[in-house]
Amino acid sequence: MPDTSTHGAASGASPAPGAAPERIEIQVLRYAPGGGAPATQSWTIPWTRDMSVLQALQYIKDHLDGSLTFRWSCRMAICGSCGMMVNGVPRLGCETFLRDLAPGPVRLEALAHFPIERDLVVDAEDFIGKLAKIKPYIVPKEPRGLDEGTYFQTPEELARYESFSHCINCMLCYAACPQYGLDPKFLGPGATALLHRYNCDSRDGAREERMDLVHSEEGVWSCTAVGYCSEVCPKAVDPASAVNQNKTASALDWFARFLPGRK
Amino acid sequence: MEVFQADIAIVGGGGAALRAAIAAAEANPRLAIALVSKVYPMRSHTVAAEGGSAAVTLEEDSLENHFHDTVAGGDWLCDQDAVEYFVEHCLEEMVQLEHWGCPWSRRPDGRVNVRAFGGMKIERTWFAADMTGFHMLHTLFQTSMKYPSIRRFDEHFVCDLFVDEGRVQGVLAIEVATGEFRLIRSHAVVIATGGAGRVFRQNTNGGIVTGDGMALAYRHGVPLRDMEFVQYHPTCMPGPGLLFTEACRGEGGILVNKDGYRYLQDYGLGPPDPWPRKKAMELGPRDRLSQAFWHEQRKGRTIPTIHGDAVHLDLRHLGRAKLTERLPQICELAERFLGIDPAEAPIPVRPAVHYTMGGIPTDVGAATPIPGLFAAGECASSGIHGANRLGSNSLAELCVFGKVAGEQAARFAAGAGEAGNGVALRWQAQDAREEALRLLERPSGGERLAQIRDGMAKAMEQGCGIYRLAGELEGTCRTLAELKGRWVALGLQDRSRAWNTEWLTAIELGFQLDVAEAMAHSALARRESRGAHQRLDPGCLERDDARFLKHTLAWRVHAGAPRIGWSDVVITRSPPGTRAYGAAGEAAEAAEATGK
Amino acid sequence: MAIRRTYLRPMDGWWRRDPFFLRYMAREATSVFVVAYALILLWGLVRLAEGEARFDAWLAWLASPLSVAFHVLLLAVFAYHTWSWFAIMPKTMPPVVVGGRRLPARAITAAGVAVAVAASAALFALATVLA
Repeated sequence: MPDTSTHGAASGASPAPGAAPERIEIQVLRYAPGGGAPATQSWTIPWTRDMSVLQALQYIKDHLDGSLTFRWSCRMAICGSCGMMVNGVPRLGCETFLRDLAPGPVRLEALAHFPIERDLVVDAEDFIGKLAKIKPYIVPKEPRGLDEGTYFQTPEELARYESFSHCINCMLCYAACPQYGLDPKFLGPGATALLHRYNCDSRDGAREERMDLVHSEEGVWSCTAVGYCSEVCPKAVDPASAVNQNKTASALDWFARFLPGRK
Repeated sequence: MEVFQADIAIVGGGGAALRAAIAAAEANPRLAIALVSKVYPMRSHTVAAEGGSAAVTLEEDSLENHFHDTVAGGDWLCDQDAVEYFVEHCLEEMVQLEHWGCPWSRRPDGRVNVRAFGGMKIERTWFAADMTGFHMLHTLFQTSMKYPSIRRFDEHFVCDLFVDEGRVQGVLAIEVATGEFRLIRSHAVVIATGGAGRVFRQNTNGGIVTGDGMALAYRHGVPLRDMEFVQYHPTCMPGPGLLFTEACRGEGGILVNKDGYRYLQDYGLGPPDPWPRKKAMELGPRDRLSQAFWHEQRKGRTIPTIHGDAVHLDLRHLGRAKLTERLPQICELAERFLGIDPAEAPIPVRPAVHYTMGGIPTDVGAATPIPGLFAAGECASSGIHGANRLGSNSLAELCVFGKVAGEQAARFAAGAGEAGNGVALRWQAQDAREEALRLLERPSGGERLAQIRDGMAKAMEQGCGIYRLAGELEGTCRTLAELKGRWVALGLQDRSRAWNTEWLTAIELGFQLDVAEAMAHSALARRESRGAHQRLDPGCLERDDARFLKHTLAWRVHAGAPRIGWSDVVITRSPPGTRAYGAAGEAAEAAEATGK
Repeated sequence: MAIRRTYLRPMDGWWRRDPFFLRYMAREATSVFVVAYALILLWGLVRLAEGEARFDAWLAWLASPLSVAFHVLLLAVFAYHTWSWFAIMPKTMPPVVVGGRRLPARAITAAGVAVAVAASAALFALATVLA
């Protein structure tokens, strides 16, 4: 996990009253559609101990440059909108704090390995398409009517897939994955984690259908176990585990083909 | 301008919108459904909901209990026919979500677990750790991908609604990536755009919660109902206003002031022990808890922080194991943002705006006054929340009324007959397009967007706070009128078309000013105290059923203050009674039981 | 739909951008050294087949300063190779549950490294005894 040490933020210590607010330089790689190659622009802004990178960007947009463009919404690391490169590392802007980056300068760039739409906004369509490809829904193993109530699922069965269900679709793992950067056909960590979530859900029966994607060249076999995806994931989903467990599963499936009775 | 023909257009991408889309797709797979959302659906603010979703589950519970808790929680301003329908259908919706894969937290035997929640007599809140909204939204979003008839228009900002020949005709959307306009014609429109909490300064809401759908309907002659009822959630992070779920208290957390005293016992919610206890102390309804904070602050018993006064939410006695299992996101939030480990230290919290009870009035069929226009979710005033919403009723509402809206929209669209006058529609669309583009043409260099926005947020905090005064409300109304004038003159720094979020934020600000006006004027008109609307003016201190057991309706008036009217509250089974919690509540229930 | 003019950043030199990637490339590079050592052993095997004199010559080369230096390097590289192998191994395994609790990745890595060290020590002892 990226270091999020907070240096006693709870005390909310600010510069002494009367003292000028501390200032920090924010550098953003900017790009406008059709406007030539990206170039860095920088601003120096006042900051306080509890300010996040997102709040810094909002300050710039509100007071200094209304054209600065970035996605954001919840401010609490659950919507997945504000992924960006902070000093070269994929981070969520809302939970990356200036106090951990001081004295700066803070270098901000759009998420790596994605085409830049504008400033810090990337084209996410490839990822969205992959989410749809993996059949991200329950295909029930046993059909059950609504009047029959819920399926039984013990806490142990829930634990088998629960962490993989925590993915907020922030795409930091794709920004961390060099294989995806080198070949965007790779299914990638996030989509595979979601695929694994459904395969491991005791209620689901579509594992075989999903394995076709897993077995393919663009499936798990493009992964070379760099492992950076799990490092940067803000929700401890551990996509590297999902992908690499499926390498074992894929290999076993391949050998199982030779067993009598299998197609 | 590109035109897309659909049968149903759904504006929004959150829980209610997705549930409506799925319901419509299942009701009639031949209908073309357009799901138009200004953000990718998984970014919708449903994702931030934490605590849970209510449904009568346990043997010892009953629909009557849920009904009564909700109506009392709403201070009898609820439309009881809607509440009846609601409580009857919560369970089937929660089961449906489970079938679709929602990872509800379980008991050891594999059955879904339920927990206690504010204002609820018996445990009935289904939960998925403390990320229930996240899990519900992702379940709905991922399930929606099963239906080929749902065509998504992701990152398309709806800037206008079309009404012609007395019915809805479609919407106009801006494709965010290019700034190009798209006309989406449809026979039915479902608005599911969420609440409007961002008109206030301190709020739990994401940046997108700007009342878009409410304003769109409002501008087309739909009155906004009960807008004065804004919920202050009692336990939010000072400063950013981020939410610490009610489930913290459901699991046994307590609130103490600067003296370590559980102050809620001084406000009719005690006695403090035994704890935890339903409908008492920290499990009282949200409006009462926020009001108690306001009083404590006046008495000087709150704890100062750099972001204003706070009280302490103490979770230490829950123990690390329970915190990790039941409240993991809360622990993460406290640690990453505040550097506090809830197992070791209490968390500073204060009330912040969280939920908009009011909105587009709908009947039990999710229909608005305009034929073909439906609404569901926080943007709607379905009548179930009345003057104050109980926690975990909102997530359930998304599913119950989201489904109704989808099915009713499908029925309407299938029977709609001929599409409207295409030429007239195109002219309307061109007008709307020019209106939206006008913002890009005005000269910049004057006032900045943020100044108008912050002015609005401060004015709303001032006048429409937890307790309200006529003088302050009037001041807020004047300020909003002035801000609207300044908005009309606003010039933007970014005049490009592609990914121009300053432009879209300015359009949102226009929506917000309309909605804020409706809120402030409705608050001024309601001269009583009920639920989340509490006034300090003499003569307005108590609930006044004789004069104000009515909904407010705010109609937009061009270049003027909204006109306020009234409509009846539907009372079926439960005549207005006293809201009693804590010991008083228990006594009242005992008296009722023996009296039967 | 209008064409979106996005900008794709080049991937050249991607592995130099972050210490994590440098460590990854170092890990991958160790496999080259593994191959090199395999070739040395294979060479020794060939010499063994060719008779005592050729084999003794090969052994003598092994003892040369150049070879010793190279083997010390190989030992360091193999140590990193072994450690990084077990560091990534937990990711390839489904969760291991012991006594109701999930075994953390650290424990699996530590166990693997411990086994490797023990096996090496045992082999070394065996070689010393046989020599």
